[in-house]
Amino acid sequence: MTLHAPAGTAPSTHFDLPVDLTATEPPEHRGLGRDGVRLLVAEAASAPSAPGVRLAHSRFRDLGRYLRPGDLVVVNTSQTVAGEVDGVLAETGRPVVLHVATPTGPLPDGSWVLELRTAPDATRPLLDCQPGTVVRLAADVAVRLLAPYPEPADTGSGTRLWRAEVTGGRPLPDLLVRHGRPISYGYLHGRWPLADYQTVFGRHPGSAEMPSAGRPFSAELVTDLVSRGIGFASITLHTGVSSQEAGETPQAERFEVPAGTARLVNATRLDGGRVIAVGTTVTRALESAAGADGWLAPAQGWTELVIGPDHPARVVTGLITGLHNPDASHLLLVESIAGAEVTQRAYDAAVAAGYLWHEFGDSCLLLGARR
Amino acid sequence: MPTAVITGASAGLGRALATALAERGWNLVLDARRPGRLLELAAELGRQTALRAVPGDVADAAHRRQLAGAAAEFGALNLLVNNASTLGPSPLPPLAALPAGELAAILHTNVVAPLALIQLALPALTATGGTVVNVSSDAAVAHYPGWGGYGSAKAALDHLTATLAEENPQLRWYSFDPGDMRTEMHQAAFPGEDISDRPEPESVLPALLRLIEQRLPSGRYTNTAPELLAAAAGQAVAR
Repeated sequence: MTLHAPAGTAPSTHFDLPVDLTATEPPEHRGLGRDGVRLLVAEAASAPSAPGVRLAHSRFRDLGRYLRPGDLVVVNTSQTVAGEVDGVLAETGRPVVLHVATPTGPLPDGSWVLELRTAPDATRPLLDCQPGTVVRLAADVAVRLLAPYPEPADTGSGTRLWRAEVTGGRPLPDLLVRHGRPISYGYLHGRWPLADYQTVFGRHPGSAEMPSAGRPFSAELVTDLVSRGIGFASITLHTGVSSQEAGETPQAERFEVPAGTARLVNATRLDGGRVIAVGTTVTRALESAAGADGWLAPAQGWTELVIGPDHPARVVTGLITGLHNPDASHLLLVESIAGAEVTQRAYDAAVAAGYLWHEFGDSCLLLGARR
Repeated sequence: MPTAVITGASAGLGRALATALAERGWNLVLDARRPGRLLELAAELGRQTALRAVPGDVADAAHRRQLAGAAAEFGALNLLVNNASTLGPSPLPPLAALPAGELAAILHTNVVAPLALIQLALPALTATGGTVVNVSSDAAVAHYPGWGGYGSAKAALDHLTATLAEENPQLRWYSFDPGDMRTEMHQAAFPGEDISDRPEPESVLPALLRLIEQRLPSGRYTNTAPELLAAAAGQAVAR
């Protein structure tokens, strides 16, 4: 592993994605509890006179040993809904798999955001579709591709995401409830029921993909943390489909930061406590609700915020996250919270110690040093 | 660990002192008007010590009660630093042109508010035989055109400090004149001028920390007071 100097908006963290370390099924099917996955803790040393990174290998159920009374853990209450459904291209009859990034409702302009992938396992995106392409789904519902999303959407290798209109006798969300299944990618062994894609915090249906950072929490662990004096607060952010390809910016996502959460976050920070975001979704929501002075106010709507050098994280001081594709936007967000050195050391340690990757894999707690 | 309340903690001398006391493990109650700056400071110092940052204006009675309440959460109070103050209008007008309402506001923030906070904190400070530092200015004793409003307020604060020392001899009472520093307040006194020749607030910290830690007799001290310098020399010899 090499540590690269920051250049422009490229993340400085670099690692090679270990294909053989993919978690191919939920941990419960590997004989573990939700909170039995591994936890890597990486923390910037607190004394400015002795810089460095402290690393620890643990289990997620022992998270409380690495947090302090007065810290606030912020979770996402979005529930995962079925966002994947089979279809056929109307023109050729070719089977395809449709991923709906807006499974519970369209964008404010009325259009839906979709991705077409190869059948039967959604292994690869179809990048050569054209505007006007029609995909027939069950129950006489069809979707017609209108334009690349977001515009301009040319990644240099074709168009992955589309704005589309839906026609037919049944609303798309109803069709997904009846005929859909959770979005999954080719690296999983088998298909898993929607329940495996929920976190204990899920209350509001709307995410196309599981807000997976919250998955290792169990009710017992939350009880343990609360008993230790660690606070909890919640936001809701409904995820779109993940940025699979390098260079794609994250999509707009619907979110809400309630007034009570804004108050708790401000109070925690004023008492010198840490705000621990469970996942990039929570980070995006909190930072979207921060004013120019960093003060948090209640907020709701769609956010297009991309956290990185141009918009560093100001509210979140710690991050719980799984291990994901090394795409630029994810790494820039992590570095913005944890710092480049903590991030690089954490990924190096995770690769070296054989941590499992992706939504059913192991977890990290990254704690940064504030400038 | 001892506990300190510092007003005006998000910038200048207040920030420098808060940082130094955090490094020494003091519990801190910090006040500033601007929440954004206070949030940043709390994140930084929260890694080193226990603290309560309370955004608000010392001129506001409810806010002062919040500060005293936050200090009470730590169980004991050892130090109160009345550092927050206002210069009044910028650029500084001559007294002939200083509106009476502006003078009243200067006196309220720089004299009335510190005394009111002292009154709230006095029982807790008395219990520990604690220390009060009221940040003063050479404008309290010298007379500069334009500085009449601010200077008269600091003179009044010095007077209160000396009287409180007579009335409460079991505590230590200091007026501390830090001299000119490269701060936002000093810049506001000289808008548009280059003040980069003034020393950073950190440069007066050794003198201020000696004043606090060595429990010198109550009184008015400048940052170059011989007692503070002599104490430093004595320490050096002792090592």
